[in-house]
Amino acid sequence: MVLDLTMSMAILALMGALATIAGCLEDLESDVGSQSNPNSQVQLAPQMGFLHRIFNKAISGEPISNGMSAVIGGTVTTVLLSQKFYPLTAIVIGAFFGAIILGIFATTSYAGRVASQTRFKQPLYMDIMRYTTPSIIGHNFIMNFCLVAIAYIQFEILGYPFTIPFLALIWGISVGAIGSSVGDVHYGGEREFQNREFGCGLNTALSGRIVRKAESGLRNSIDNVWFCAKFGGPATGIALGLTVFFSSWPTTIFGYTWKAIGVGVLIVVVLIIMNRLIELNVRHAYGPYKEEKNEKEAKA
Amino acid sequence: MVAIDPTLLTNILLIGLSGTLICLAVHFIPVGGAPAAMAQATGIGTGTVELAAGSGLVGLITASYMYAYEPLASIPLVMAAGAMGSMVMLASTMFAGGLIYAYGVAVPFASAQVKKDPITGDRQDTYISKGTQGQGLPTICFVSGIVGAALGGIGGALIYYVLVGIYGQLISATSAAAVAGVFTLGVFYVNAVVPSYGVGGTIEGVHDPKFKRVVGKDIFTSFFVSILCGLLAVLIAGGISP
Repeated sequence: MVLDLTMSMAILALMGALATIAGCLEDLESDVGSQSNPNSQVQLAPQMGFLHRIFNKAISGEPISNGMSAVIGGTVTTVLLSQKFYPLTAIVIGAFFGAIILGIFATTSYAGRVASQTRFKQPLYMDIMRYTTPSIIGHNFIMNFCLVAIAYIQFEILGYPFTIPFLALIWGISVGAIGSSVGDVHYGGEREFQNREFGCGLNTALSGRIVRKAESGLRNSIDNVWFCAKFGGPATGIALGLTVFFSSWPTTIFGYTWKAIGVGVLIVVVLIIMNRLIELNVRHAYGPYKEEKNEKEAKA
Repeated sequence: MVAIDPTLLTNILLIGLSGTLICLAVHFIPVGGAPAAMAQATGIGTGTVELAAGSGLVGLITASYMYAYEPLASIPLVMAAGAMGSMVMLASTMFAGGLIYAYGVAVPFASAQVKKDPITGDRQDTYISKGTQGQGLPTICFVSGIVGAALGGIGGALIYYVLVGIYGQLISATSAAAVAGVFTLGVFYVNAVVPSYGVGGTIEGVHDPKFKRVVGKDIFTSFFVSILCGLLAVLIAGGISP
């Protein structure tokens, strides 16, 4: 342990807070740019005759694109730190570079994807590109800042063996994996098909029939991020925050011992129980979609 | 003629075994791919590669920290630290994902592969919404995912342990950690891609009939691919100079 217990816990709390913000903003960036799995519906919609005004980027899988922007941020930060820049300035400039590169990829992939759909008459809206891209860059900047800051703390203060760019890459990949698993479900499972009855499930036959009308006017990606910021984004933030906090907390308190490992396993068991409680709660609240066969037979 | 050192052979074999563990881990993790992101399939709404790598790499961070700061860091303790990091990451992700399925999309958790959850005994088929292959994360999927994450974390930590041992003798500790970390990342991706072909992109976990059907073939393939990775890891050590 490099620091005393109080300082270690303070650092851990700071890292947890940064991770929560990073997770939230990562998911919102993927919603405003429409990336990852739910984007398959945005891509499919014009082929089904549903032209839309939603941004369509999907540079790559979410973990890879976020890993890319975070590692660029980490690399630039390391270079600036070696030139005796003040750490906060170095992290801000590094994060900005990473976000700009992602912004460039976002514009080229949006233009490229829409251009490939010419035969389905999907237009390329320049106004959408003009005011959605800065939003993508902005969200990604905050995510980069938080991740590079976590990497900086881990490398410089906690003394992790990996360097800042590599730690930023790993956290970028992890936050992408979490955002893709958690927040995207809110965007893909609910927001894109909001005209269906809440909780009815999403029939595969509905694929591509995304909602195109907003609360006012035609829906665009800014409307989507407004909605997802209410639940999908914060839930992703909680997942990454829990990951960063609970993966380090046992060793911070109990040292590098089997006891710490045991506590880690205990945390996982608690999460399993909490998931079971949610499962029971929703089964009770929503009930089955179909009657049980035995019941039907009994009635007959 | 290069002399064949038994230690090197053991290291290659250990990397092969670790890669195989990672491949096995991917089969346990319930990934539903794009359909799950639209709540049309049971499991986590992302790809096998993304999730296995994402959780395994968090394990790599915890394992590397344990290795660097525990003077008597034994192999089992480093591997357990890797397993713990991976498990915590996947448990947090599945828990938060479950919150979205439950209260954001409002669908009960149901598996399409079994009639009753083998752990809780809850009926599954009646809770599947029309036109889907199940949704959410029933307890069996959650537990299976945790087991998978633990295996992946152990595999990643073992590769790291072996590689730091090899490169640490040639270059500084920081550089050795960096090279070993990057190589572990590579082996993770290789062994997450191999089973993706076997399971066809989606699998519900250990209870999925697909598991028994493909796990043998995938592990066999993965072992040889990982041995090749191990050979490369040892070969590049020949070109490393301080």
